[in-house]
Amino acid sequence: MLTLQILANGLVLGGLYACIASGFSLVWGVLNVINILHGSFIVLGGYLAFYAYGLLGIHPFLSILIAAPLFFALGYAMQHTLINRMIAAPVLLTLTLTFGLDLMLSNAMLATFTADFRKLTLDPPLGTLAFGTIVLPVDRLIAMVLALGLTGLLYLVLSRSRIGRAIVAVRMDREAAALMGVNVKRVYAITFGLGTLMAGASGPLLAMIFPISPLTGPAYLGKAFVICVLGGLGSVPGAMIGGLALGVVESFGSLWFGPEHATTLSFVLLILILLVRPEGLLGRKGYA
Amino acid sequence: MNDESRMAVVTGAGSGLGRAIAMRLARRAHAHVLAWESPATLTGAAAAPFSVKQSSAGAGDRPCAFRRAPAAANLGLRGRGTACILRHADRPDPSKGVPTMKPVSIRSFACASFAAWAALLSAGAVAQDVIRIGAPLPITGALSPEAKKLQNGMNLWMETANKAGGIKVGAKRMKIEIVPVDYQSNTPRAVQATEKLVTQDKVDFMFSPMGSGATKAASSVSEKYQIPTIAATASSEQVYDQGYKYLFGVYTPNQTLTEPLADLVKKQAAGVQRVAILARNDLFPLAIAQEMEKSAKKRGMNVMYFEKYAIGTLDHASALSQIKSLAPHWIFATGYMNDLILIKKQMADLGIEAPVVTMIAGPAYKEFVSALGKGAENVTSAAWWHPAVRYKGKDVFGTTENFNKLFRDKYGLDPDYGEASAAASGVVLQLAIEAAGTTDKKAVREQLAKMNTMTFFGPIKFGPNGQVDSLDPPVFQVQKGTQVVILPAAIKQGNLQLGVK
Repeated sequence: MLTLQILANGLVLGGLYACIASGFSLVWGVLNVINILHGSFIVLGGYLAFYAYGLLGIHPFLSILIAAPLFFALGYAMQHTLINRMIAAPVLLTLTLTFGLDLMLSNAMLATFTADFRKLTLDPPLGTLAFGTIVLPVDRLIAMVLALGLTGLLYLVLSRSRIGRAIVAVRMDREAAALMGVNVKRVYAITFGLGTLMAGASGPLLAMIFPISPLTGPAYLGKAFVICVLGGLGSVPGAMIGGLALGVVESFGSLWFGPEHATTLSFVLLILILLVRPEGLLGRKGYA
Repeated sequence: MNDESRMAVVTGAGSGLGRAIAMRLARRAHAHVLAWESPATLTGAAAAPFSVKQSSAGAGDRPCAFRRAPAAANLGLRGRGTACILRHADRPDPSKGVPTMKPVSIRSFACASFAAWAALLSAGAVAQDVIRIGAPLPITGALSPEAKKLQNGMNLWMETANKAGGIKVGAKRMKIEIVPVDYQSNTPRAVQATEKLVTQDKVDFMFSPMGSGATKAASSVSEKYQIPTIAATASSEQVYDQGYKYLFGVYTPNQTLTEPLADLVKKQAAGVQRVAILARNDLFPLAIAQEMEKSAKKRGMNVMYFEKYAIGTLDHASALSQIKSLAPHWIFATGYMNDLILIKKQMADLGIEAPVVTMIAGPAYKEFVSALGKGAENVTSAAWWHPAVRYKGKDVFGTTENFNKLFRDKYGLDPDYGEASAAASGVVLQLAIEAAGTTDKKAVREQLAKMNTMTFFGPIKFGPNGQVDSLDPPVFQVQKGTQVVILPAAIKQGNLQLGVK
């Protein structure tokens, strides 16, 4: 029975992980930019939901609808004005740029919101659902469903829409895409916008579950890294599988080896995957 | 140069920018300027290879090892500053194109400059009437909320003491200056910051960095330089068992928190038998969890679960599911704010209920209650201090009520134990300096070692290892959204309530 509960815990956690990682994976895969800002964007989305709920009474699920266009615009503008200047530079330089931007953003958040840990606590709380002896918190369950929904939507956009095909084309071969009339600069900006949107939209979901503070950004970023490598870079289904796998493996790692070693098992798995399948579980040269 | 105890060396002070800077500095009160001048700009100077001019209006009797040069008045100095101009003889006079004086040997140059420095340093020491205290703080990074609390506490002490005239040292009063350095929540950097504060900033005394781990690491530096150091936030005995003589801490050992708590539970909730402990794998949270295990076993309770979780853990569902399956009566979780908010939230998520839930260290802070709302209800905790304690101290704050009032006036909030202990560190240091009547480090250390006094924070007497052993830490419980003291009996505001959802 405990095993089933742990499996359920792991899947729910994995859904959230998938949401954390999908935008990060997209940007890394398409732009070849390691976006260190990703964790801070999630935190910023969390603050948006926290204040929208606390001051205006807007439910965090609705905040996602507010956060999505705002963060898309923020990401688009940031890519268009700053990151595009460096886009042709080696990956280490763009990493340094986003690292610097992240320092600015997280310190601005520290100055504005202070480092105090806050928590978005719904009143009344959503409670729990019991399936036999398995108990699942409703907020996590909904957050997982929405997170997987968002990730699925991103997948649909990439595989079905015109702009999505353009993004995939640029990911596969930038020069060829440009020759076919794809505006690469614009595709980059839209991709970065989508990645930021995913971060900003997962903020309200995570704010219901984790304490909010500018200091939690790096923790999200760390998870996103592992999931990307696990699932395969730039692949949205990869991020989903990687996230779920990480959630489940961490949960069982904690059960079998003690919570101290929850991440030990997942990193052993990561090393094995890098040895056996360096492109990740679902990674391949093509994409989407 | 806003600090009167510092020195300046100005090269090329004979003309132009250098001259202007030297004069500007020297005009400031108590500024000591060592200026370097080439011979061409000094008219009628003595024929000696070097001459030092001293010009000072007001304090012209400062020691100067050198003959006064006749052109001193040319500088037109005002104020109480001192300017020594060291004249260099071996540079050619640019106006004539040939050297006007004989080149000077390295040896005489070195002697002259050393003597000039010595004169200036002794003058500087006389002028100093500020006590500087180094404070390595995690101003940025994961521990930055704690740094804020420490700064609130120590700054309130500094301002209150300075407003009262400063620290009484023998016959005079000296102002306090706290010199903070950010160590970015990184323990190795805390050690570097301490080294810098001692060797470069030349602080007189030290406050320790945040927490037991960093305090232990940094204490080796202040011990090496024999700087009396007050630790505001280190309780683990491993910090004090190093045989150090200059480290003093205002927190009692960890078991003084768990022992009264276990007593209380044993007495008032006889059915509590099964105990589960979940600890953050970190110096203090782990140490206090181990004390809890001892306290529980001593009272015949059954510790069924004792596990550690890694720093930075994002999910506790697995550990908590396991705890739930054991149906413990008492759940004891340790960690910091982020961990404990998350653990309590996930306990509710998994429908875990227990008669007693204790968390250290988080529930003492307002953030914990505001973040969890009803979820914080009936969580017990213990800390070294609580605003509800009542002491009549001999320090600058006097009573606990007065400290609370001053704190509220300044920050608009009630103080918590971290803020109070930071202020108490200052208070302890002040009392020791005043008892010694000097800032001599050995003398102050002796006074700390034999201190036996009362402060707003409580009675202060240090054990032979330097850790305070006179405090009686309060136990409290979150009841209806506020922290209610349930122990010690003398100050209790309510009784232990059982049942945490």
